[in-house]
Amino acid sequence: MPPITTPAIILGALRYGDTSKIVRLATRDLGIRSALAKGALRPRSRFGASLQLLSEGVAHLYLKETRDLQTLAAFDLTSLRSGLAADLPRFSAAAAIGEVAWRFSPAESHPDSYDLLSGALTVLETAPEEAIEVLGLRMLWRLVSVLGFAPALDRCARDGTPLPPDTPLRFSAAEGGGLCSRCADGHGVSTLAPVDRRALEALVSSEAELPVFDERHAASHRRLFARFLRHHLAEGGEMPAITFWEERSWVSR
Amino acid sequence: MRAIEALVTELARLPGIGRKTAQRLTFHLLQQGPEESSRLARALDTVATTVRACAECGYVAEEERCEFCRDARRDAGLICVVEEAASVQAVERSTEFRGRYHVLGGRLSPLDGIGPESLRIDSLLERVRGGGVREVILATNPSMEGEVTATYLHQVLAGEGLRVTRLARGLPMGGDLEYVDGVTLAHALLARQDIVG
Repeated sequence: MPPITTPAIILGALRYGDTSKIVRLATRDLGIRSALAKGALRPRSRFGASLQLLSEGVAHLYLKETRDLQTLAAFDLTSLRSGLAADLPRFSAAAAIGEVAWRFSPAESHPDSYDLLSGALTVLETAPEEAIEVLGLRMLWRLVSVLGFAPALDRCARDGTPLPPDTPLRFSAAEGGGLCSRCADGHGVSTLAPVDRRALEALVSSEAELPVFDERHAASHRRLFARFLRHHLAEGGEMPAITFWEERSWVSR
Repeated sequence: MRAIEALVTELARLPGIGRKTAQRLTFHLLQQGPEESSRLARALDTVATTVRACAECGYVAEEERCEFCRDARRDAGLICVVEEAASVQAVERSTEFRGRYHVLGGRLSPLDGIGPESLRIDSLLERVRGGGVREVILATNPSMEGEVTATYLHQVLAGEGLRVTRLARGLPMGGDLEYVDGVTLAHALLARQDIVG
């Protein structure tokens, strides 16, 4: 049976034996897949240098639906995305987006999330350094929204009561967005000032102008996103790339 | 048997060794007789008790400093930075390098939670600031994580008043253009050199 081809992005790779790699792929047509790339570490491997983290190409997969690990026959590289290695903030944002895609994309085809992931990596690769922080936040919020977890910002996440615009937002990560005053009682909420609420609305939107942050506000927004993600998506699992991106431990050095 | 099971389990924890291979190795040792197994056990024990990380560069050493850091004939002004101790042996095989090493103990990898604080970057800066270092060669692997580690180190070392270089990437000696992948060929074209002479 001939292999199935699909656009794919490498979300992770680990050594398997002396000469092979197991790669984790986000594919456009087959969802998230793991595959064995036999001989990928040999000097004259047909994979060459193509199986790098976050690189994109066309994967040729031998599929057996009864198996968790498929066989990668070839990977025709379309973008190595080497620009993501230009600095650590850029790489950490890209890795965080890759981790969200890996952990939370469905096992079946989901072209919208694949296209968003691909577009996000392209944007991050070429964006100016000063825009990386806010672009990373937007791409992460957009990705969870496309995956069906958009935060409720104009209606109460519990009872659907409209939330008046340009007022402070009582944001509950556990409830999935803003709460009206009645529902907010007794819940652990973070109150976002109108300016931060507008910034969050702009981040979640695909078209609004990007907000401008100082470091303190950017850190608050990173924490808010990480808290939201952990409540809704992670089910208690570890998310090292999200933690890395959230804490930015390299800044204090 | 519990003793055999314990050995199989320990061997199977080694990289590249699965459970079947671990069982094969275990039964091979049993067939060889007790002297063979004892010799292996003594060698493992000696390594475990005498080998440590070099206090200066992080490479393996049986004394406080490794063979390269103790060797006065090696150029202390030239430091080659590698991800893992095993890479030192790879660079040594070139026979071209006569400087010293610095082993980071890994590479930056957000997906594994490895940040700069997990690597031996502070001790690299200490060595550089200690004086006498004129060039640092970044010999991290040519992977995405290796590249971002190199760019991060380049930024950290900027302003220290020394030359920071990166290993070149390109065509393997004895190779054939027909079999070289596009990425490597693109790097080779970008890093092309004038013919001298």
